[in-house]
Amino acid sequence: MMVKKRVPDWLNSSLWSSAPPPDDERLLRYASKYADADRDEPPAPVAPVAAAAPPPVVAREEPAGAARAGNDEENGSAEGPSGEEFARQVQLLAELSKKVVNVRELRRIASPGIPDSTGVRPTVWKLLLGYLPPDRGLWPSELVKKRSQYKNLKSEVLIHPSEITRRLDKSTSCDNDESKFQRRGILKRSEITHGEHPLSLGKSSIWNQFFQDAEIIEQIDRDVKRTHPDMDFFSGDSAYAKSNQDALRNILMLFAKLNPGIRYVQGMNEILAPLFFVFRNDPDGENAAAAEADTFFCFVELLSGLRDNFCQQLDNSVVGIRSTIARLSQLLKEHDEELWRHLEVTTKVNPQFYAFRWITLLLTQEFSFTDILRIWDTLLSDPEGPQETLLRICCAMLILVRRRLLAGDFTANLKLLQHYPSINISHLLYVANKLRSKPSG
Amino acid sequence: MVLVLALGDLHIPHRAPDLPAKFKSMLVPGKIQHIICTGNLCIKEVHDYLKTLCPDLHITRGEYDEETRYPETKTLTIGQFKLGLCHGHQVIPWGDLDSLAMLQRQLDVDILVTGHTHQFTAYKHEGGVVINPGSATGAYSSITYDVNPSFVLMDIDGLRVVVYVYELIDGEVKVDKIDFKKTTTTTAH
Repeated sequence: MMVKKRVPDWLNSSLWSSAPPPDDERLLRYASKYADADRDEPPAPVAPVAAAAPPPVVAREEPAGAARAGNDEENGSAEGPSGEEFARQVQLLAELSKKVVNVRELRRIASPGIPDSTGVRPTVWKLLLGYLPPDRGLWPSELVKKRSQYKNLKSEVLIHPSEITRRLDKSTSCDNDESKFQRRGILKRSEITHGEHPLSLGKSSIWNQFFQDAEIIEQIDRDVKRTHPDMDFFSGDSAYAKSNQDALRNILMLFAKLNPGIRYVQGMNEILAPLFFVFRNDPDGENAAAAEADTFFCFVELLSGLRDNFCQQLDNSVVGIRSTIARLSQLLKEHDEELWRHLEVTTKVNPQFYAFRWITLLLTQEFSFTDILRIWDTLLSDPEGPQETLLRICCAMLILVRRRLLAGDFTANLKLLQHYPSINISHLLYVANKLRSKPSG
Repeated sequence: MVLVLALGDLHIPHRAPDLPAKFKSMLVPGKIQHIICTGNLCIKEVHDYLKTLCPDLHITRGEYDEETRYPETKTLTIGQFKLGLCHGHQVIPWGDLDSLAMLQRQLDVDILVTGHTHQFTAYKHEGGVVINPGSATGAYSSITYDVNPSFVLMDIDGLRVVVYVYELIDGEVKVDKIDFKKTTTTTAH
């Protein structure tokens, strides 16, 4: 049930620069739109409502050679896009159809959100994460290169020792395929290559490493099976879900093997899930089929900024999670001292109790899946970077429930913050935007 | 990739006190999926030890085993291969490959694992492959005192088996391997 929030007066003050004060009618439309879209399926092909059909068609035909927009009619949401959102849609498609995409401009347009109906979210995210270069002409060659790179990585890193020894055998000249067809007789014993055998305890032994990795693989497997159990995409017995789980597993295992410093930490699966979901549901069939490879690289890119949160040794350092949480605290103090004082001093709700999960998992556990995608639009597009934007959004989350927090004690507040109520996401992001320390460009 | 440990003829405690230390250090739990044991453990403690290495344990009865309820022969399917297990003292002449081939045809298995002679052999004939893992403790046999401790680890990967032979020669562990594959798949039971 969507909570319809009235914007507090201080946010409506003329001191704030950009967008016009949101009118209730638009809020209402957003609220119902997200209520409908809250089924955790990719935008289901809904019969296009008459109101929705004409404007999007016009938008798509406008930019010549628009990449992926053509086949999206059936992805129209139940409600037609509002005026502002429609304008954004047009701008987005226009920007994407340019020969060289201006990424700064793209960030500006995408920041308030990418309308689901356009089906360009995968492409925009790939551009924002630097996977696709701004020059559209380079896309085909880049994609081919990256995807084959992934395939090679997988075949080199994700094989088990039997396969490795088989390859080693093929490369060394002992080629006893013919002698194997002896009908009768003592079987010939041959030397083992490189001293490799399954029970080897040598540190450099591939077998030994394999068994040591087995623990991580088990952990990854368990977490993948637990990812979004309510969504058919991720969970269940269908072949589709199983293939998606396999992809997630492969990506996480490959990442763990290629990054021995950080390996796999619980929670990485949650950050991976929205990325893979978006790319797998790309309206372009070719892109959707190559989602695993694309997701891997984007995941690496996304995680590179967040690695420090996952590294336990860095917890107490300047870049670690504790200091990030402290920054959130500071931000709250700056913008809403009363709330800050009540939360941290009076009711002693240590931000670590709720903000840890908010920050390390990029809010994937706090909202519905569609809302998460929406929030991630902003997280990825904001020029200040995901970490800074995240802090502002967390601060906004606190401010939006301030009345309940101010009235609550330790238990009530903790309960509220650990089970954050669903709210209007656009409004949340609007408030978060207002909390910028310097005016946005 | 399934790892199957084949060993037997330990004769603990009558002819040997324990597995060689170097073997024991290599045999750690968590790596092996199945253990097949030709027999002559002889006591329950050895059974319990093998159980800690791997819960899936198959044993056939040797003539000195104190547990009388082990079967005389056993067959199991692992991956694409059918394996047969028998101690071998029942097959005479002991160690005779033709007689063992007869047993193999009777059990209808691709790989027959037997012991009793305390000598490692791996032999191929039209019906399949016969493997004798030898004695894991190097216990003397009814035939000879000159026995090197040995056991076998099979890596079953699809239609291909890599047999790793572990022998303790002059105090050092020597590992060899034997590669073979089968040409037809097993029909599903």
